[in-house]
Amino acid sequence: MRFVYSLLFVLTLTSISSGAKKQPIDFVRDIKPILSDRCFNCHGPDAKTRQADLRLDLKEEAFAALAFEGNRVIHPGRSGKSELIQRIQSEDPDLKMPPTESKLELTHEEIDLLTRWVDQGASWDNHWSFEAPVRPSLPKTKDKSWSTNEIDHFILKRLEQAGLSPADQATPTTLIRRLAFDLTGLPPSLEQVKQFTVNPSSQTYASLVDELLENKHYGERMAATWLDVARYSDTFGYQVDRDRYVWPYRDWVINAFNQNLPYDQFVIEQLAGDLLESATDSQRIATTFNRLHSQKVEGGSVPEEFRTEYVADRTHTFGTAFLGITLECCRCHDHKYDPFTQKEYYQLFAYFNNIDEAGLYSYFTTSTPTPTLRIFNEDQKKAIADVEQTIIREVAKLNELATAKNKGFNDWLTNRKVTKEIIGLEQELTFEDGNTGANKSVEGRIGKAVELTGDDAIGLSVGNYSRNTPFTVSLWLNTPEIKERAVVFHRSRAWTDSASRGYQMLIEDGRISVSLIHFWPGNAIRVRTKDILPPGQGHHLSMVYDGSSQANGLKIYLNGKPANIEVVRDNLYKNITGSGGDNIAIGQRFRDKGFKQGMVDEFKVFNRQLSDLELKHLFDTKTLQTTLGTVTAELNAEQKQHLKQYYLYLFDEAYRQQMAVVKSARDQRSKLIDGAQEIMVMEEMAKRRTTYLLNRGAYDQPDEAVVAATPAIFGDSEKQGDRLTLARWVTSPQNPLTARVYVNRIWQMMFGKGLVRTPEDFGSQGAIPTHPALLDWLSLKFIESGWDTKALIKQIAVSSTYRQSSHASEIQLATDPENDLLSHANRFQLPAEMLRDNALLTSGLLVDKQGGPSVRPYEVAESFKPVARGSGEQLYRRSLYTYWRRTAPAPVMMTLDAAKREVCSVARERTSNPLHAIVLLNDPQYVEAARKMGENLIKEFGDNHQAAVAKAFQLLTSRPVSKAELAVISNSFQEQLAYFRDRPDETNKFLATGDAPRDMNLAAEQVAAMAMVINLLLNYDECVVRQ
Amino acid sequence: MNSNSSQQCTGFDSPWGLSRRSLLNRFGMGLGSIALSQMESSRMLHAREGVLKEVHHTPKAKRVIYLFQSGGPSQLDLFDYRPELEKVHGQQLPDDIRKGQRLTAMSGNQASLPMVKSPFKYKQHGDSGQWISEVLPNIAGIADDICIVRSMYTEAINHGPAVTHMQTGSQFPGRPSMGAWLDYGLGTENDNLPAFVVLVTKNKGGQPLLTRLWGSGFLPSRYQGTRFRSGQDPVLYLSNPQGLNADARRQMLDGLKELHQLKLEQQSSPDLESRIAQYELAFRMQQSIPEVTNTADEPEHTFKLYGEAAKNPGSYAANCLLARRLAERGVRFIQLYHPGWDQHGGLVGGLRNQAKETDQASAALVTDLKQRGLLDDTLIIWGGEFGRTNYCQGKLNGDNFGRDHHPRSFSLWMAGGGVQGGVTHGETDPLGYNIAENGVHVHDFHATILHLLGIDHERLTYKYQGRRFRLTDVHGEVVRNILT
Repeated sequence: MRFVYSLLFVLTLTSISSGAKKQPIDFVRDIKPILSDRCFNCHGPDAKTRQADLRLDLKEEAFAALAFEGNRVIHPGRSGKSELIQRIQSEDPDLKMPPTESKLELTHEEIDLLTRWVDQGASWDNHWSFEAPVRPSLPKTKDKSWSTNEIDHFILKRLEQAGLSPADQATPTTLIRRLAFDLTGLPPSLEQVKQFTVNPSSQTYASLVDELLENKHYGERMAATWLDVARYSDTFGYQVDRDRYVWPYRDWVINAFNQNLPYDQFVIEQLAGDLLESATDSQRIATTFNRLHSQKVEGGSVPEEFRTEYVADRTHTFGTAFLGITLECCRCHDHKYDPFTQKEYYQLFAYFNNIDEAGLYSYFTTSTPTPTLRIFNEDQKKAIADVEQTIIREVAKLNELATAKNKGFNDWLTNRKVTKEIIGLEQELTFEDGNTGANKSVEGRIGKAVELTGDDAIGLSVGNYSRNTPFTVSLWLNTPEIKERAVVFHRSRAWTDSASRGYQMLIEDGRISVSLIHFWPGNAIRVRTKDILPPGQGHHLSMVYDGSSQANGLKIYLNGKPANIEVVRDNLYKNITGSGGDNIAIGQRFRDKGFKQGMVDEFKVFNRQLSDLELKHLFDTKTLQTTLGTVTAELNAEQKQHLKQYYLYLFDEAYRQQMAVVKSARDQRSKLIDGAQEIMVMEEMAKRRTTYLLNRGAYDQPDEAVVAATPAIFGDSEKQGDRLTLARWVTSPQNPLTARVYVNRIWQMMFGKGLVRTPEDFGSQGAIPTHPALLDWLSLKFIESGWDTKALIKQIAVSSTYRQSSHASEIQLATDPENDLLSHANRFQLPAEMLRDNALLTSGLLVDKQGGPSVRPYEVAESFKPVARGSGEQLYRRSLYTYWRRTAPAPVMMTLDAAKREVCSVARERTSNPLHAIVLLNDPQYVEAARKMGENLIKEFGDNHQAAVAKAFQLLTSRPVSKAELAVISNSFQEQLAYFRDRPDETNKFLATGDAPRDMNLAAEQVAAMAMVINLLLNYDECVVRQ
Repeated sequence: MNSNSSQQCTGFDSPWGLSRRSLLNRFGMGLGSIALSQMESSRMLHAREGVLKEVHHTPKAKRVIYLFQSGGPSQLDLFDYRPELEKVHGQQLPDDIRKGQRLTAMSGNQASLPMVKSPFKYKQHGDSGQWISEVLPNIAGIADDICIVRSMYTEAINHGPAVTHMQTGSQFPGRPSMGAWLDYGLGTENDNLPAFVVLVTKNKGGQPLLTRLWGSGFLPSRYQGTRFRSGQDPVLYLSNPQGLNADARRQMLDGLKELHQLKLEQQSSPDLESRIAQYELAFRMQQSIPEVTNTADEPEHTFKLYGEAAKNPGSYAANCLLARRLAERGVRFIQLYHPGWDQHGGLVGGLRNQAKETDQASAALVTDLKQRGLLDDTLIIWGGEFGRTNYCQGKLNGDNFGRDHHPRSFSLWMAGGGVQGGVTHGETDPLGYNIAENGVHVHDFHATILHLLGIDHERLTYKYQGRRFRLTDVHGEVVRNILT
């Protein structure tokens, strides 16, 4: 368990630094971790579970006087007068701390340590990582020649204190191989190795570092690591786990690293690129970072429950990725160990809670969950801008025609005929025949009506209108009560399961709402009556739409007159058709609340926007006759106005033609837009969503409302701002965590372990830095450099510390088994991506293309949820581009310890596992690579197998083979040759692995034997271990 | 932080529990010379120890076989006999029973919620007289060996969260699964096989299962379950490439070992020693895994017991048989999944079919283990992630009805491993909706399983992100009434 480790670690450091028991105890290093781990659970920041009203995380309270016997909780210098010490030393079960039922214990060593700390005066410091770094002075070392730059002073000083010497510099071949993998994820070319080994000077080395940092593969290597942080996945996750289009974000990350975007800018764009002034598409795509959490589609789920999860995931990711703090705890209660309250959690949560998103994505359609960015190239953008201009122009013309003097109108007025027929009726249901199926036939306003069960829809055979088509739906309706929600009618496949795509009339909180929807809520228009519809009486309702895709073109008519409405959403930018459920249905929808016991009558659908005159007539069934039958002289102003509109819509050729022109321009726009790829991004809602503190973190238990703010522990907290405020706060040079957390991860990348061994937790329960001053020095330097990642990496790469050999002496191993002091370099197996990319590159199979959609190499067909593998180039791209399915990730990558990417992850674990060996031996990707390299070498060297084997060794380890090694490998080659020579059929089978065509001109058994030798070398320590 | 954990391989102890010296002794001499039959004896290596150097109390069970029936088996039609439902068949679910509880969004918006009786007959079975439905005749035959818990409950109302809850103790992804906890806590008794094996019935539709259900969460990934596939390779890429036999592989591995030893001679390196051991283990797994998965050596009466389907690899019956073979070889946690119990509609035919696929083999496994004397220290669990409603989903049309998800009460059974046979625990209300007495929450269920394995569920913890996590979160009471 970790606390055991921590203690060992503490003791080790103590013994390293002095060896003496009585040296002063360091509060941060020695004491705080014990208090935090064993005491804070009941005597820490969480007010709700605090016992005896005692806090041990605050100095004032911990040192407070107690009322009896002159004791204090902690009495500096006097353990005998310190209640804390008496309690932890007590054997009395009623007094003993930690109490037995907590199942926490202190060891004798820990009790001794705490006692001595009190006796030594109980020095107290605030938690190191929440205090701003202070520039440390460079330590003076005895050895003046070893250090290359400042890093080395810090490292060497500690080594000297521990009586250790640094290791020798690594051999040039080891060093260049290490550097190339660390910076580009690929091995150095033989040419690069040759050039460097000829002249391995510091200058050559430094320019090699520059060269690799400028290599385009640098961005890919950095991105592979960042994608773990961003929990990147090509699918939505949870049960159904469909594909989603997010790879442009990956391309953004690669480019950002290659262009060396300053880290503060890198953070700002991902958190809030959409809020930057004149944000570019690229800056918006950066915000996809916040949408890469899992998303739900499973039928029957409660949308708000999952929307809450999404916001929580964003918040946790923000905490882990940028601040190295664990916010998860304070979702349900105040943090047990760190000074963050539950309220502060929801104040951070509030920053991420303001986008117009749904809790579920759409099961029946492929709509992208809103908010989205549509991806267009420049030509498309221009074409769309042009057509938008056309629409504005043609709509203006239409409006002019409506207001211009119109001779035709007067002629028509004179000659008009009286009629009660309304043009454009596509279907009507009067329910007179009483044939209502499961629903009930009841007395209606006119003859019979239908009373709905709420579970049985009445289907029509019309209604599949595009968003550019004007239409009208009217009906009589009577609701038995003020309903919270009921579906009156709709044209859609489903509710949340298709994000309501289509159009609909609902009762919501007793009000009538009508909507046109591509994806609810972010891509839709909705208007709603302001007044509650009185229950128990009949109302005539019409939904009238003009084809404009705008809320002001969508109206509700109540009893023949425009209802008093408010706009709920006005952001429809894509089609509303194409989801199934093509015709109108009344009274019920899949998994929605039906219109139970609601009555409906005289249901009519028109393929045009009706005029006010007609809408009034639908209500009173007489307006047409009376108005059309009134002589012109007796018409009042309203009647004249109605007749004018009626005339324009139906009889004025110029107006009608112009309506067609407008529609055709809108159709043209749809053509340009509807096929566009969309990507999920961040976009603030105009009206801020209220964030509540959620009791126990549950979506359905809102407590007090909170405003967005940063945690108080960091001083001047930002209030009321948006994500950009938050992004600027987190990247402020004054923020004590951001630079440290990032610098630590770069260190981890270059040394295998961070200076802080818990990169995900810089709080009380996290590890303290092995070299606190170095971490602070690097962080301040990093900020001063303008958050220059490449400069930071170079600083580390050229240090003597980095350049050490990984060979450890016995004394180094004995004194510092974890290599905390960095007396030598660390050896560790290459990450999953590098193992595979190495095989692809050295065999000549690598398709060196940058960016683009994910690809499906062999292994995806073997995943728990197999998907068809790709072919051709798809098999040979760098592993960073491998299709990542959240619930069944690439199985070889998973075996080889790639991050699961369910949630933000800032370090990969490294395991030692026979399953690694099994995949590296038998995975067809590696077997094929061995075969291709075998062919290349047989082609190059013919019968000179020794030379071929030697070259293979060098390709895969970057160094020349020794005589003894050559003997072993050559022997292995001969054994394999003998095996294959006797077995032509087996040989052919063996050579059939992988899609890459065989070179039939080469001797099969030689290629096969060579392939086996390469298979051996692909498993050899120096090939798979970064050393 | 994982990499700091003392259980983590630091490069200085072998992860397989061997000292450096013994490693060299074992492998340095060349493992190729050890006969295959010896490898099959499978105890060549000391067991890898878990984090618990000793268990908290004497365990009753040493291993678990969890027959997970995925989708939510209808307890009202299998184990929870509620005759009262016959009287109220077709009537609306009373509001005072529902108590405003949330329903799934699948039937939650239904205007009408008619209750529906079980279409199956119930009888009492065995000396204990446990009520079991007619669709499970074989399980009825072992009524005296099993403990039926009728009062399980959960909070989750959909498959994803509910299965995740049952398997990891949390509705949301990210926690280690039960098998991973046990591997972490207790280690393994056989190093040639994974400690935690997962078997999924092949070719079943139903709700998808996810790798995280047997994942290690924040525990190191070596504790995750290894899914045995039903095809050629029980483990990913276990077989040598086509055309390469075991001898040729052995020769190549000998070459690799020689090369590694040349390096070792130049500089001692514990992690290189560990790498050498890995390759030898890998080679042995290439033998030991096919040995356990190949059931050709089973006598004919085995297949009579489990059913002919047991001859079809990947079937539920074959997986039950395989579970027994794995249990015999000391695998700690064997997790089966049989999907398809999600009868939203067509319940009568659907449930009969599910029962037909699982009834005989489930009972056979209990009987077989009993005959072999393994039932006493093997805990068998049969159950799903939640129950089903006492009301009908969709329209009640004669026999063609369905039931929706129901978290408030469901049934499962356990056998062996320190659980009393012939016992029914807990009771639902007469309408089979809410729990009337002795409710067992998912956390209680987990606490009980850990207890049977000798573990105090509050003391098997792992620190992650500064907090000590455990399978039961901050809950869980051992259900003592059902213990032997």
